[in-house]
Amino acid sequence: MSVSPADVERIASLAELAVSPEELPELTAQLDRIIGFVAQLSASGDTAPEGDVQIGPLETPLREDVVIPAALVRGPAEIAPEFVEGFFVVPKLGAMEE
Amino acid sequence: MAAATALRLAEADRARLNATLAWSEEALAAEAELIGRSREPGALQNIPVAIKDNIVTTGLPTTCGSRILEGYHSPFNATVIDRLHAAGAMVACKTNLDEFAMGSSTEHSAFGRVRHPLDPSRVPGGSSGGSAALVAAGVVPVALGSETGGSVRQPASFCGIVGVKPTYGRVSRYGLVAFGSSLDCVSVFARTVSDAGRVLRVIAGSDPRDATTLTTPPMALPAPRASLAGTTIGIPREYFPADLDPGVRAACDDALARMRELGAKVVEVSLPHSSLAVPAYYILAPAEAAANLARYDGARYGARAAVPGDVRALYRATRGAGFGAEVRRRILVGTYVLSAGYYDAYYARAQAARRRVAADFSRAFASGVDLLFTPTTPTTAFKAGEKTGDPVAMYLADVFVCPASLAGLPAMSLPIGRSDGLPVGGQLIAPPLKETEMLAAAAALEGVLEADTEVSR
Repeated sequence: MSVSPADVERIASLAELAVSPEELPELTAQLDRIIGFVAQLSASGDTAPEGDVQIGPLETPLREDVVIPAALVRGPAEIAPEFVEGFFVVPKLGAMEE
Repeated sequence: MAAATALRLAEADRARLNATLAWSEEALAAEAELIGRSREPGALQNIPVAIKDNIVTTGLPTTCGSRILEGYHSPFNATVIDRLHAAGAMVACKTNLDEFAMGSSTEHSAFGRVRHPLDPSRVPGGSSGGSAALVAAGVVPVALGSETGGSVRQPASFCGIVGVKPTYGRVSRYGLVAFGSSLDCVSVFARTVSDAGRVLRVIAGSDPRDATTLTTPPMALPAPRASLAGTTIGIPREYFPADLDPGVRAACDDALARMRELGAKVVEVSLPHSSLAVPAYYILAPAEAAANLARYDGARYGARAAVPGDVRALYRATRGAGFGAEVRRRILVGTYVLSAGYYDAYYARAQAARRRVAADFSRAFASGVDLLFTPTTPTTAFKAGEKTGDPVAMYLADVFVCPASLAGLPAMSLPIGRSDGLPVGGQLIAPPLKETEMLAAAAALEGVLEADTEVSR
């Protein structure tokens, strides 16, 4: 199974990443190479997971449902590209695609 | 110490290592003032620590080596920074890295590549190349980096210094910019095993702000040991292929001989699913990255593209322009393997492969092996540009470090010799939570090796 330019355009749309027509051929080739490399896992045979191996804590610890305030030294107004009266300002959502 | 550090950082700038992304005399003075307030000296009092630029700090910007976060000043400090401060340590600077920690050479930074301190035509490794270069060049004694698939051990090996990745969950990830959340570990560079252990002990510990931290007793400092009697070292045959670089093999043989002389029992073991690790990693890590990097859209922080159109046009233009080539590739790979129709073929299988890789380690340790020993990297530091033409060639640089990341195990690299003048690293891998035992054995080996750890000219 190889990756086509149409695949890349579809995936880029899902990932909200602009890919220009000039970039598309090389990017397609690179992704095809990478997917071809990782696809060797599919050829490796059985997929039954081998038991349960623990990575990280055995159980997610519970804690009291209280807000632990973060010690913030600067607010969103200083960091955001545009921040007005408590709102992050962005362009409007246009027509939905498909 | 602030003034001395400033001098060394300025010198590193003049040497064009390109290892730092942010530092200033004002910031150093502010750090000195902060740690000067404490009444009692801490465990790392006055020690300057270089910080990889994907760990947030309030006093210096955090860019993750990316244009998309250029100029971003975090409103909070990472937990590891708070812990360093509480121990009296000072943030020296922010260090250069592969963009969003994605890379094995620090050639994928938006702000230029880092030069290997011994040979400027070579890479220091990655993604934590800036931190490694500064420690190797003697600019700072210790540095923090991060690992997702070996990004501290591999540059430590290339640069001839110590690099330690703790058990996953040992150190809080609060304030470590997320790449692969089930893999990311803040990790430590130092020139000696002892210094690495001291820093790791300070930054480790459970954190209510990171639910994946382990609630275990604090990590103990290793008791000095000169002998390895009673310790069984396993050497996995899959990590010593017939075509292993002869210089790397010779250094490993020497290290094993010394471990035997110290009284260790050395046995061969097998980790049969080792070859699944790199492909599994390059499905799982990009998948997690695709999710974690969705937040960089120009809406709330960071760079914003000035384009006409609606908010989705803003997202696409911001991300398309703000992310470098490797980050874009990984986001696309991650999105692909999670997308409908491909999830089972890729992501689910990679999860199964991950469990098999982890189970191999469990079996080896259960068979009576205390520690595993392997080469850290298949080669010494390669030349800049050598592997950037083929993403897969770059990925294969991680072949020996990636598996322990998948299994969440503590692992480290220490310098074990030179090959054609370039450092060679040896890797130790320990069972979960056995950092203390691993560091103790490493220190014993370090004590007898004639490896030249003095890397700077």
